[in-house]
Amino acid sequence: MTIKEQRLHEALQHYYGFRTFRPGQLEIIQRVLAGRSVLGLLSTGSGKSVTYQLPAQLLPGITLVVSPLISLMVDQVQRLRMRGKFSAVYLNSSLEPAETRRLLSEVEQGRYKLVYISPEKLQQPNIQQLLARRGVSLVAVDEAHCISQWGHDFRTDYLRLPEIVQKLGNPPVLAVTATATEEVQREIARLFHIHQEDIVSQSLNRGNIAYDIIAVTDEAEKREKIIEAVAKLHGPGIVYCRTRQAVEQFVATCQLAGLDKVEGYHGGMSAMDRVLIQEQFLRDELSVIVATNAFGMGIDKPNIRYVLHYHFPGSIEEYTQEVGRIGRDGQPGYAALYFAIEDLAIHQHLSQAEYPEPAVIELFVASLRAKTGLKLAYPEIAAGLDLPETQTELLLFYAEQAGLIARSDRPPYGVQVNSGFPADAANRIGQRIERARQAKRTKLTQMVNWLQQKGCYRQALAAYFGSTDDLGYDLYCCSSCGLQRIDYEQDVSRLTAALPETNWNLHEALRMLLPVELYNRGGHHH
Amino acid sequence: MSNPILHEREFMKTLLLNGLLPLEKQRTVQSLYYILRGRKGNQTVQDVYLFRLHPYYRLFPKFSREYWEEIIASLKAQRLLQLEADDRAKTKPTFLLTAAGKQFLREGVEQYQLDNWLEPIRRVAANEQLQSQWLKLHLLVQTVSQLLHRDIAFYPVVQQRSIQQWVKEQLGVPSERERWMNELVGELELLLQAFPERLQQLVVRQFSGAGQTGSTLPQLARQWQEPPSFLWVKLLHCLAVMAERIQAEQGENFPLLHRLFTADQRTSRQLSDSAAHTWRLLRQNLSIAEIARQRRLSPNTVEDHLVEIALLYPDWDISPYISDREQREIQTLSSRLQTRRLRLLKNHLQDKYSYLQIRLALARQKGAVYDD
Repeated sequence: MTIKEQRLHEALQHYYGFRTFRPGQLEIIQRVLAGRSVLGLLSTGSGKSVTYQLPAQLLPGITLVVSPLISLMVDQVQRLRMRGKFSAVYLNSSLEPAETRRLLSEVEQGRYKLVYISPEKLQQPNIQQLLARRGVSLVAVDEAHCISQWGHDFRTDYLRLPEIVQKLGNPPVLAVTATATEEVQREIARLFHIHQEDIVSQSLNRGNIAYDIIAVTDEAEKREKIIEAVAKLHGPGIVYCRTRQAVEQFVATCQLAGLDKVEGYHGGMSAMDRVLIQEQFLRDELSVIVATNAFGMGIDKPNIRYVLHYHFPGSIEEYTQEVGRIGRDGQPGYAALYFAIEDLAIHQHLSQAEYPEPAVIELFVASLRAKTGLKLAYPEIAAGLDLPETQTELLLFYAEQAGLIARSDRPPYGVQVNSGFPADAANRIGQRIERARQAKRTKLTQMVNWLQQKGCYRQALAAYFGSTDDLGYDLYCCSSCGLQRIDYEQDVSRLTAALPETNWNLHEALRMLLPVELYNRGGHHH
Repeated sequence: MSNPILHEREFMKTLLLNGLLPLEKQRTVQSLYYILRGRKGNQTVQDVYLFRLHPYYRLFPKFSREYWEEIIASLKAQRLLQLEADDRAKTKPTFLLTAAGKQFLREGVEQYQLDNWLEPIRRVAANEQLQSQWLKLHLLVQTVSQLLHRDIAFYPVVQQRSIQQWVKEQLGVPSERERWMNELVGELELLLQAFPERLQQLVVRQFSGAGQTGSTLPQLARQWQEPPSFLWVKLLHCLAVMAERIQAEQGENFPLLHRLFTADQRTSRQLSDSAAHTWRLLRQNLSIAEIARQRRLSPNTVEDHLVEIALLYPDWDISPYISDREQREIQTLSSRLQTRRLRLLKNHLQDKYSYLQIRLALARQKGAVYDD
């Protein structure tokens, strides 16, 4: 081991308490510290965050972490602070303006090594200037596949990142993702000027996960089978549904069946309930979470034993991410998907909500045309159109691409509506959106193809991501190759171990929570 | 086992019918929905005051449209509620409770002892405030618990920045932090002792801290086989009782919790922002027309503001707009006809008064709700 490697191991031990790096981590970190831009392809659960958190402690300036999900950002920073060795902060739209100003001035004073930021916050020129002044040593782009227009999770703000990196003085970029096809990898590398030899790719194969695809004919059969599986399987586990309604119904069914340690989780719940349920699950007080895809991003729970899919996801990438939460401790785990072709209707419905109809595009362009030459703040642009926010974002992005509007660099960061609209503007935007919609549909088709093929599911998955060298597995491979679910089962008692109604004692209950006497007896050490 | 989902629906039917009763023949069904969600608009705020629906205002700020529609549909299907076909079909239809509906309501109110639960919430009349006080208490208990367990690395249950900020301020000064750590538990015990066991548990078991992850309301509901919404009403009831007691005894018994439960007069009877602006101009003796011109609002909107002000500030003199005698004439007629529908009153008074005058008079009417 070289001295440099020695030092990195010491740092790993100091900050995380680990002795060794996971595959790929060291290679990535060394390149990043040498000032190279890197694309890191690491399978889910293989410790992507270490690859930028550790360099952040060793580099002189700020490490900027661009992350698409507010909840993920908040969660990571919160947990870093819990560990107490990192000075991290996040900046996103959930903060109040006064708070943002305060945090920014602390960033400027150099209080933080790690700055998590949402891509839309990073669009603001004043923030860019502040960061450039302070000095950015590394830009880590988490979930880097979001930059691909043909990927499964395109985010318009991501496409502007290469330009912003330039404005920050061209620090090296570390793009990380667990779900990128070869095509998307090439696109990321091109956009961030990453050399072929700096693509560090770990096998995306998860040998400890067995894939079980179970065909069902109707809802009743599906529900019955999943209930049975939940009752028998060794937890903790997650059941993924595509809609909130399905989550609630399935939880109710479980509870009626006497499975008490099952709870639902979705975006419609109050923020506090979501935190409580998540914490109960992390502390093994719950066995099963029934959730929409809102659950699991950035959750660090190593002992998840199974993931069941009530509905199939919209793409193989999403599927990989969701089942990837199984067995991060390396122990064998079980992934079952209950496949009913009728569930396509749900995806159709979701897609309709995501992309604006041609008539809506016409209206949008007409309303822009009426405002030619004006400067508009964001709320004014889509006023009166009553569009969902994602649709507005998408329309604005394509309108900018088509040259209809320009973003202004100075507060209040609205847009300038250009004059001289091409007559076919709406048409052009419509075509672009149609292409995006098509790309999404292709993803969905590929997902269904994977489910309907009869060969080895592991091999087909690897082929999709373009790396079939590693097809190893430990317990079972998949339902095509043959598996025995019984090996992932246990007896029912743990699930129905309902809390006994113990004798209630207010005095004691409060003192458990707030042990003031104990504290005072302990004296004031520090 | 009884079906908990059905049980929840049954409770909601009673709760909603109870809120709809005073609005019968006066307003649309939807107006209660806006009240439950705590809409800040003029009409909603006025309805809350006129029909004394304070316990309902912002009772369920996240009430989903689908759930609302579902319950209303089932009330209609069971013929407990019916829409009133409007004779002139110009305005949106009002509704009424059928005889069966009133019977159902009486039984439900009796079964759930609804009036007992709602009464303190009605007196305190500040659901928004109670809800934010609950979050503060929650985070405060969690933080103090962690401090007492000498384990300050924890994941805060409450993510709202303003609440976190408040707790930080409370615990920021070392001497104050000491006080909270030493005295919070005693104040809480004294406060909660007065409640029956179930309610003590309802509050305490939701708390998180070192070594205890709080239960969610739905989890407690399931364990006790009670409707979750009913538990929510009970929780607000507890908070209202706590707030009242703390204010009454403040300095003596609850010096710390008093900081948390301080009634903020501005939020408990707050004018909407726009009405507050109008109120400032009004006090500079500007006329309705002048205010409308200056603020680029329609005079109708400004009139809405006046009504809102009349409701929220009983001391404001409305005699420049309508004399005392005229007010009484309108109020008497409204009582006699048992209606607050403006068009009806205006017709009966042969257009002698403007809508504004009638609305102001009604805003000042004593005993605004009609008993059935």
